[in-house]
Amino acid sequence: MNLPTTPAELLPFIIAVVTSHTFITLVIFPGFIHLTVVVMFLTWYERKLLARIQLRIGPLYAGGPGGILQPIADGVKLIFKEVMIPYKADKPLFLGIPLALVFLGALPFAVIPFGQHWVIANLDVGLVFIFAVTSLFPSMILIFAWASNSKYPFLGGLRSLFQQVAYEIPMWISALSVVMLAGSLNLVQIVTAQQRIWFIVPAFLSFIVFFIATMAELERLPFDLPEAEPELVAGWYTESSGAVFMVIFLALYMKLYLMSSLITVLFLGGWWGPAFLPQPVWFILKALVVATFMIIPRGVYPRLRVDLLIKVGWTRLLIIALANVFITVALLSTGVLSAWGL
Amino acid sequence: MDLSVPPDITFVVLTTITLLAAILALQAKELIYGAISLGISFIGIAGFFVSLDAPYLGMLQIAVYVGAVVVLILFTIMLVRREEADKEEAGEGGEGAAGLWIAGLLAVSIAGVAALAGPNLPISPPATNLPISQLGPVLTGTYPVPLIILALLLSGALLGALVLAKIDR
Repeated sequence: MNLPTTPAELLPFIIAVVTSHTFITLVIFPGFIHLTVVVMFLTWYERKLLARIQLRIGPLYAGGPGGILQPIADGVKLIFKEVMIPYKADKPLFLGIPLALVFLGALPFAVIPFGQHWVIANLDVGLVFIFAVTSLFPSMILIFAWASNSKYPFLGGLRSLFQQVAYEIPMWISALSVVMLAGSLNLVQIVTAQQRIWFIVPAFLSFIVFFIATMAELERLPFDLPEAEPELVAGWYTESSGAVFMVIFLALYMKLYLMSSLITVLFLGGWWGPAFLPQPVWFILKALVVATFMIIPRGVYPRLRVDLLIKVGWTRLLIIALANVFITVALLSTGVLSAWGL
Repeated sequence: MDLSVPPDITFVVLTTITLLAAILALQAKELIYGAISLGISFIGIAGFFVSLDAPYLGMLQIAVYVGAVVVLILFTIMLVRREEADKEEAGEGGEGAAGLWIAGLLAVSIAGVAALAGPNLPISPPATNLPISQLGPVLTGTYPVPLIILALLLSGALLGALVLAKIDR
């Protein structure tokens, strides 16, 4: 595509850019607009779902059926609220880290395949890329907690750091068996390998471990110790307000969507599904189902104690994840799975 | 790399970011900014790996160094109370001069070696994108001795760290 030289070439040039595959995948789907819409939907969905679990009605008045425009109302409210920066807080970090969090939350979507051709970057090391990017979250959270210059965020930040670093280990070890089954780190190839059997069947234990570890990574109940309301006000983002809070909130839900997409890719067959719906629709539906199962515990379970959290992570999940690696090796080497082309 | 072509823009940008962040990591007054710039510098190095057709190494560089080592440094900084950290005075300046001398000597020797050996070096094979599944066989099959030396070096470093940590008990 050549750059335009005369004004008359400008309009065709813009049309060519806007209709190009790169632009569509980056900006519309699965890029910016799709992410924003789904993340906003998730905030409404969580409120509504929890309300229904607790026999409440939930958002109702903000237009549309069931107050589905509530996220927009929330956003407008938060933007116009005052951003309060704590006394002696580290201003550049306090304002910059939330933006970095959103960026880090959105970045891994570049390698997530929403369909056979709906992927921004078909990276050979896609899974390791996601691993690398998500491993930056804990340090960002700790820096933000420190920058708030307040004790509750700092305690929450420390808890968040310990929890996320500890649960990263069983999480990625359990992803290892999927990598062995598919024989690739490329997410597109991982999904392609699941055409005949979803990996949730041969790697069911992995799925359980990965799901639990993901809940801990996302700091969702029953693992929400970093933001335990009765002890730490709101955890590591206690001091955030207004637009800063909104950005952090977006980043958290972005991460929720990211992790449910990742589970869909690794275990639930990604875009595969009966042909009457297009591939991306299947993918998003599956991711939303996973997200539903991540949200429901928040309305059902109490919070874990700190010692139990550590115990579950190190003495249960890690052992099961490691054992599962050997089970997968055994399954693959005995050829039990050869009927499904694995 | 063919030296007759103008320098690669990616290389220039990456070098600038990495070096500036590294300098900032040493010079920052607030320790936490130092740690953050160290992380940025590590990300720059990961960028080098990616631009050298080794994306796997680059990703692991980010995961291990930025995700784990920088967290460790941050954690240490935050455990030290601020007043204690502020009391820590800079050295008399002799260390800086010595560091400059060592860096200069190193640069001169590297430049000397490059100038002497450069024209005679064999042309390196073109960078092929080694599949990750081949990484293990290549490491253990083709280069076992460097791997063992690296392992010894790492265990030496580990033992050294243990000794250092044990000193005042």
